Amino acid sequence: MASQDEEFEKYLSEFEPQRPRALPKAVGLRTVWPQRLAAAAAITIALGTSLWMLRSENLEDKNRIAAEAKAMPDSTTTRQRASLVALTQMALHDPVELDAELAEASRSMLPDFRRSDSTLRVLAKE
Amino acid sequence: MRRLYDQHGPALVAYASTFVTDGAAAEDVVHQVFLRLLSEEVAMPDVPVAYVYRAVRNAALNARRSGWRNAPLDPENCVFEHRGGDREAALGLQKALSDLPEEQREAVVMRMWSGLTLEEVAALSGVSLNTAASRYRYALEKLREKLQPYRRR
Repeated sequence: MASQDEEFEKYLSEFEPQRPRALPKAVGLRTVWPQRLAAAAAITIALGTSLWMLRSENLEDKNRIAAEAKAMPDSTTTRQRASLVALTQMALHDPVELDAELAEASRSMLPDFRRSDSTLRVLAKE
Repeated sequence: MRRLYDQHGPALVAYASTFVTDGAAAEDVVHQVFLRLLSEEVAMPDVPVAYVYRAVRNAALNARRSGWRNAPLDPENCVFEHRGGDREAALGLQKALSDLPEEQREAVVMRMWSGLTLEEVAALSGVSLNTAASRYRYALEKLREKLQPYRRR
């Protein structure tokens, strides 16, 4: 029986199954995936950094504008002083003083655009 | 992975061809299994040979169920080649293998064309050495009977 098996095994070994076609080279996906992942991470980091920098620049500008706005004199008191009644009386009695008062008010109420870091210039830059 | 493919690819094609009959479809099944392994769709198994045999069997059964290239078994679709050029015997072998019970078919393909020892066949199939040896012997017996007409020529 054993010799029969051996003989038959020898016969079977005369048959060879066809060799399958080679695996495609592009299938080295186990090595391609980490590369893709690294590239995606690099792009994400670059984008994130750019956005962060843009955001921090905007914040700086906003803070500066806010600081300048705070530094400006409170215009409400001036506005109170230059009330319509007082101005009317002044116009009737002393037009020269009215002109002086209006000039003074305009200087303190409107932003000073002559300075290099004036609010108007900062806004104009943006 | 490629070494596994080189060593067991032909045997796996032969194994798959006992389910799907069409040689090209059998080859596709084996390809599909290895592509999945390479593309990390599945984790690398601890015992790759056992895994690929299981995976090829399942993929071949799925292909058969879906009627994928369920071509009739003819010399064009035969995955075996006889060294002496006996194409009929090669076809006869493929047909005889297909008629074997699945576990016997697996044992004989693993032993004969994957070059595994009976101990390895037993370990991969998860059975005792005696069971593996019996399956193999029964398989040889049936194959011998069916291939007798070709051997006489």
